[in-house]
Amino acid sequence: MNDLTGAAANHAPSDSTLAQPMIALAGTELHLASASGNVNILRGIDLTVARGEKVGVVGPSGSGKSTMMMVIAGLERQTGGSVRVAGEDLAQLDEDDLARFRRDRVGVVFQAFHLIPTMNALENVAVPLEFAGAPDAFARARASLETVGLGHRLDHYPSQLSGGEQQRVALARAFAPEPDLLLADEPTGNLDGETGTTIIETLFDLSDRHGTTLLLITHDPAIAARCDRTVHLRDGLIVDSGAAA
Amino acid sequence: MSNPAVSWSLAGRLARRELRGSTRGFRIFVACLALGVAAIAAVGSTRAMLEESISADAREILGGDLLVDIVHRPAEPEERAAMEAAGVVAASAEMRAMARAENTRAARTLVELKTVEQSYPLYGALETEPALPREALLAPQDGIWGVAAAPELLTKLDVGIGDILRIGETRFEIRATITREPDRIGGSGLFSLGPRAMISAAALPDTGLVQPGSLVHYNYRLRLNENATSANVIETLNTDFPDAGWRIRTLDESSPRLTRLIQRVTLFLSFIGLTALLVGGVGVANAVRAWLDGKIATIATLKCIGAPRALVFRVYLLQVLALALLGIVVGLVVGAGLPVVTADLLAQVIPIRIAGGIFLEPLVVAALFGLLTALTFSVWAIARACDIPAGDLFRSLVAPTKGLPPKSYIALTILLAAALAGLAIATASDAKFASWFVLGSLAAMVTFRLAASGIAKGAARLKGVRRPALRLALAGLHRPGAPTASVVLSLGLGLSMLVTVATIEGNLSRQIAEELPADAPAFFFVDIQPDQIAPFGELVAGIPGVERSEQVPMLRGRITAIDGTPAADARVAPDSQWVLRGDRGITWASEPPDNNKIVRGEWWPADYTGDMLVSLDHGIAVGLGLDIGHTLTVNILGREFTATLASTREIDWQRLSINFVMIFSPGNLEAAPRMHIAVVHTSPATEDQVERAVTDRFANVTSVRVRSALETVGALVGNVGLAVRLTAVITLVAGTLVLAGAIAAGHRRRIYDSVVLKVLGATRRDIVTAYVLEYGLLGLVTGAIAAIVGSITGWAVVTYLLGLSWSFEPMAVAVTTVIATMITIGAGLIGTWRAMGQKAAPWLRNE
Repeated sequence: MNDLTGAAANHAPSDSTLAQPMIALAGTELHLASASGNVNILRGIDLTVARGEKVGVVGPSGSGKSTMMMVIAGLERQTGGSVRVAGEDLAQLDEDDLARFRRDRVGVVFQAFHLIPTMNALENVAVPLEFAGAPDAFARARASLETVGLGHRLDHYPSQLSGGEQQRVALARAFAPEPDLLLADEPTGNLDGETGTTIIETLFDLSDRHGTTLLLITHDPAIAARCDRTVHLRDGLIVDSGAAA
Repeated sequence: MSNPAVSWSLAGRLARRELRGSTRGFRIFVACLALGVAAIAAVGSTRAMLEESISADAREILGGDLLVDIVHRPAEPEERAAMEAAGVVAASAEMRAMARAENTRAARTLVELKTVEQSYPLYGALETEPALPREALLAPQDGIWGVAAAPELLTKLDVGIGDILRIGETRFEIRATITREPDRIGGSGLFSLGPRAMISAAALPDTGLVQPGSLVHYNYRLRLNENATSANVIETLNTDFPDAGWRIRTLDESSPRLTRLIQRVTLFLSFIGLTALLVGGVGVANAVRAWLDGKIATIATLKCIGAPRALVFRVYLLQVLALALLGIVVGLVVGAGLPVVTADLLAQVIPIRIAGGIFLEPLVVAALFGLLTALTFSVWAIARACDIPAGDLFRSLVAPTKGLPPKSYIALTILLAAALAGLAIATASDAKFASWFVLGSLAAMVTFRLAASGIAKGAARLKGVRRPALRLALAGLHRPGAPTASVVLSLGLGLSMLVTVATIEGNLSRQIAEELPADAPAFFFVDIQPDQIAPFGELVAGIPGVERSEQVPMLRGRITAIDGTPAADARVAPDSQWVLRGDRGITWASEPPDNNKIVRGEWWPADYTGDMLVSLDHGIAVGLGLDIGHTLTVNILGREFTATLASTREIDWQRLSINFVMIFSPGNLEAAPRMHIAVVHTSPATEDQVERAVTDRFANVTSVRVRSALETVGALVGNVGLAVRLTAVITLVAGTLVLAGAIAAGHRRRIYDSVVLKVLGATRRDIVTAYVLEYGLLGLVTGAIAAIVGSITGWAVVTYLLGLSWSFEPMAVAVTTVIATMITIGAGLIGTWRAMGQKAAPWLRNE
């Protein structure tokens, strides 16, 4: 496998930001008004994740795992408390700033892959690099795909790839811009056991190599156990912030 | 733009990748745009083709570089000398006369008689069959003059080459038929009361047709000397002969009547085309919305990996533009090609040399219309799709967003709609009409949109319906995502246009041909000399079957000043300008006509002989800006008469009796050379007898059969009506396309519904009944509203634009409503039938 270091870190953290945690949630709340009344999805989350740390997030359905991840990705705005990610106070950023923030700092991997069906594997991986205006977007995308073992599938469309391959493309897409933080929402949820294991191996391998901070939602205790620690959520609250496993 | 993430080139790359995949669902989009653009391009191109053909042949059509038209009298020698100083002159006299076949049947007909000199024609060539030199064609042979006649004349009178025609008091030998008269269309336009008969100018005096006051146009066509310009010649002539009372036409107005007709018809047609495009716009909006609904996961993903909203907007805008371009190009190809194909067909109706070709300007206009329509109807949907919260990807329930797009995009949509309206007004030949069209279509769209909401709300309110099929049908009308709004809007607009056109046409043809007013006369007899009036009256009264006849004196005069202001400088309402355009019939009377109602002022006393007074048609008085006490100056036979407006009258023009816009008080015009005009009321059975008796006795009198004149007008209206109807059908086709698109969009839901219903025990009959009811209700209500909207529009056009009396056309309305219902049920069932054939199991597993 090739290394992904071909791209120089174009957003190298300064010494002062290095000292800051990657994620700092303080009293983070999210209430949604619905027809049947106010729904409290996050009820005061306090979470600090250090740079390079790998954190598993577990909890029953509806406990607020995904919502917390969306708030961290800037895809949902908290209604209370504060959210700082990679040194940025997300409340201060407008919609387009948040888009740029994700583009430069955050990679996301979904359970349902969410590749763009009209683009082939190479193009799917190149898109975020193109957004960043990288002149070598396709070369880096190719390298990234080779890293995940899909160098021979560059021209294939999502519909021509197996579930495991699609998720590997998604991983390549998430890592290609060299994000500081990778958010993974049950990345193996749609895959069989063996394929899932391969994906998790790749995910941890890439995180290690890049020193990427990883926040990983999972239902699988074995996967959670591979993280530095595991955070337990229930009813919108962290019930166990998981001392290092 | 400095930010690479929103650059157009990146958006273009992404758009290209997406388009590469699939353009399914865009067939309707492309078809809707192509249809509308094709209609507008075809109408515009046809108009350009006709106008360019007229302009290219303007010299031939006018018959010269200039045409000096004098009514009633030939040019004085010094006037003619002045014309000859400017160039070569070809003089002709044009009038209506009777031609009788000198054979046993003694058939007769009105002819448009034209005398020509040796120099005729100055431009182009007179073509006859057989081709004869001028001398052999018209000069006397064995003491008999020659005549060249239009082929219809020979057919009408059942005569052939070599037979003798009697025109006035003179015999003419038919030497040839006219196959091409270069300046035919420049004179009478498309409308003529009879076929052409062409004789030598030297033969006219022999005919005895020219009497004092006879309605003769003396036309002097000029081929100007090289150094002379039209403007200079006109100025010289008008300065040297200020009282000549002539009308001088230049190449710009070689055929003003035809040009006006083309303008009117194409204006009307282009609005129908525009309606088709608007209807298509609804289809565009539907297609874009449905397409974006399928793209929301992609849009959310793009946003999730860092695409700013502006980039997403551009990516989808560019794709819409690319597909719009495809639709526009298809439309332009069809629209540009159609006139080339129909050029021959048109040439049969309009006797000019029609040169087909590609005309850039109308194509650019049509393309702009297409582009603005595509943008106006898609920006909203694209902007809304960009609002999809990317976080929804985590929930796996990405759903289309509801509500309004951001303000800037609402403003953009309004701006685009305004540009569309502006383009419609700017490119129309009648801005006022265009403005009304824009307002009307806006009102119609709002009406149909509100009606759609009403239908959905009404269906939702109807509780307690027992029959399951009806309950299902009602639910189908108001469930979320129901196509009710788009079907009602698009089909409603298309049908409204059809009802409008059908009502206008129904009203026109009823008033022109089908229902002659009960008291309409059978004949107008013109050019009766004063000394023939008494014997004419006696003769007609003696024919059994003749009910009555009336006669009035008539002169021709031209309005030269309105309350002291020269007519050319006066501000006149557009619908009154025709009064100034040429010579008008003028009469005098001591009593007001029976069928006229005095609106303002008072009619003069029966024994009035004081200063000259005038009574005007009320609408014209208003149009000319004249009030009681103001003055009107007319030039009659070169003399100016100024009269004071004493009263205005309401004239019922549809009664087809003798009506005059201007009636003067007695005592001033009696001395002028005049002729009389008479109407004769008789039963159809005695029409032939009356015509024969009058024209045998008075060779100079011309008879106009009201019935055949109306048939001529009717045929012209019929041709125009056909073009209008065909164009109107396009709006319905567009509406049907939109309907089909809306139904196709709901196809998956329909399959699922019918599968579930089948599982629950519904028979196919139950399901079909439900759909028939759903679409039947939709079609019926849409048809009914379209009938109302179309009737109101038709009423407005008939009453205000055409100035005719309105009558409701129940047939047009009924047919339209039935068509609407049938189309919706048909389209709905075609979609449903396919759904019914689906096996249940796979669909249930998928769900």
